Amino acid sequence: MQHMTPAFRNAYLTFSRSLNPNPRTAFILATIHSLPIITSSQSCPYLRSHFKIETFRSLSPISCCSSISMAGDSALSSSHSLEKQFEGFRTQLEESGSLRERIRAVVSEIESTTRLTYASLLLVHQSRPTPELLEKAKSQIDVLKKHYEQLAEILREFPGQYYRYHGDWRSETQTVVSLLTFMHWLETGSLLTHREAAEKLGMDSSEFGLDVEDYLIGVCFMSNELPRYVVNQVTAGDYDCPRRVLRFLTDLHAAFRMLNLRNDFLRKKFDGMKYDLRRVEEVYYDVKIRGLTPNGELVGDQAVQGQS
Amino acid sequence: MLYSSSLHRISLMASKSQRLHQFAGTNLQNPSKRARTMVTESAMRDAFAKYAEYLNALNEKRERVVKASRDVTMNSKKVIFQVHRMSKYNKEEIIEQAEKDLTAVTDQYMSRLVKELQGTDFWKLRRAYSPGVQEYVEAATFCNFCKTGTLLKLDEINATLLPLSDPSLEPLKINILDYLLGLADLTGELMRLAIGRISDGELDFAENICRFVRDIYRELTLVVPHMDDSSDMKQKMDTMLQSVMKIENACFSVHVRGSEYIPLLGSNDPSSFLVGVPDIEL
Repeated sequence: MQHMTPAFRNAYLTFSRSLNPNPRTAFILATIHSLPIITSSQSCPYLRSHFKIETFRSLSPISCCSSISMAGDSALSSSHSLEKQFEGFRTQLEESGSLRERIRAVVSEIESTTRLTYASLLLVHQSRPTPELLEKAKSQIDVLKKHYEQLAEILREFPGQYYRYHGDWRSETQTVVSLLTFMHWLETGSLLTHREAAEKLGMDSSEFGLDVEDYLIGVCFMSNELPRYVVNQVTAGDYDCPRRVLRFLTDLHAAFRMLNLRNDFLRKKFDGMKYDLRRVEEVYYDVKIRGLTPNGELVGDQAVQGQS
Repeated sequence: MLYSSSLHRISLMASKSQRLHQFAGTNLQNPSKRARTMVTESAMRDAFAKYAEYLNALNEKRERVVKASRDVTMNSKKVIFQVHRMSKYNKEEIIEQAEKDLTAVTDQYMSRLVKELQGTDFWKLRRAYSPGVQEYVEAATFCNFCKTGTLLKLDEINATLLPLSDPSLEPLKINILDYLLGLADLTGELMRLAIGRISDGELDFAENICRFVRDIYRELTLVVPHMDDSSDMKQKMDTMLQSVMKIENACFSVHVRGSEYIPLLGSNDPSSFLVGVPDIEL
């Protein structure tokens, strides 16, 4: 049985199941009846139709006639119009599929640009001078913007369907936001707002905007980067860094607590933020307890002023 | 680290309070700096207040849409059950009542859904309303098939929804995906109906259903690979094939057994020859 092709099995089941109510005789009968079917698959449709014709004849004439009249012109025309509708669906769905492919092509460009940007930003952990690497990373923003323009252009052909394809660029955009906010923070020490981020990416039009949830998730991603940054900055001798990061992250966490979140991805990311916060607190404490901030706030002030 | 974690935590707390004092101290010393951090902090708060507002509005709207969708589901189910109540003798009556119920669903519940969704991106909240819309499609096509024997088209459903929405805004249109998902569920109901009709002796009706369901299945096999999230639909297709086969097997067995039947003279109960129809799995 297991080695039979589905068609065989179906035919077999059909016969064995429907021929007899009594299972034991059913089996014998079914084997007898279905023997020719199992030996040759071509005979199966013939046999079936043969059965049908026979039973049709022997059925009461009333039902026979009525089913013929029902299967007449109206049924034919209705199945024709049915076919037409589905044909329309198919073209529409194919169109949507090819649109999706176009979107994905652009998105993969965005992704590779993001990776470049991220790679140059990662040098921050190796205590390279921040302005220098920011310069390089920032040069990629325009490339990203261009890609988002392409995306907007594609979607302009299909108005009102932004969220139909949103999933295709969602996670990439979140990463982009995390990079942008990180860069902005390195530069100014403050948080890049949603509007500013959207402007940077050219996503500030009404039909192609930056989704707020994507922005917020991106910000959470950025916070994940901070503990590592703090650790490496301290190793490199910047003992004021933990204080600044801690202050920023505390504010950010407080701000996030203003949001009423659903049980979704954003909520999960926000819940993760407190671990970042704790890690930074730990680093700050470690530095502080060992008196590694000899000049105290004086050093910190200079550092902050130098940055802003 | 050498100290235990609990000790560590205590010392951490200590450091926190210490830090607070320290901050207070520095803030006193540096009024200009204090002002600046206050500015950035309040700017962040302002920005987040906006996001909170946006998220609250969105969540509330989603919640309302989910509720409306749930009502649509519940009442569409009632329509489907109403159709199943038909028998050979009261078909017109039952279908008429079902149609009335369906119109009520459209006017009361679908209209609420349409109103909630008005002026938004229909795709954004699709997850929230999709189940209701699918059930509605199922009920509407089910009713229509029982009445006319044909498939109610997507355009026709959308045409009935058109008067519900504000003419100045873009009307809610059921999208192809939800329509197709609804159709996939329809075959399950049709299977139940076909089995019911057979046991009621309406073989020609069952034959019609069989033909119709086969048509839909065949057409869907061509469309499904192009659908957006086809995993859900693929599962439905498997169930659908099961339904189609159940109908086919039922029709087949009735024919086979019908051929053995010799009508009793004077008997005008057409269902009598169906006594002893093999158990059909439902």
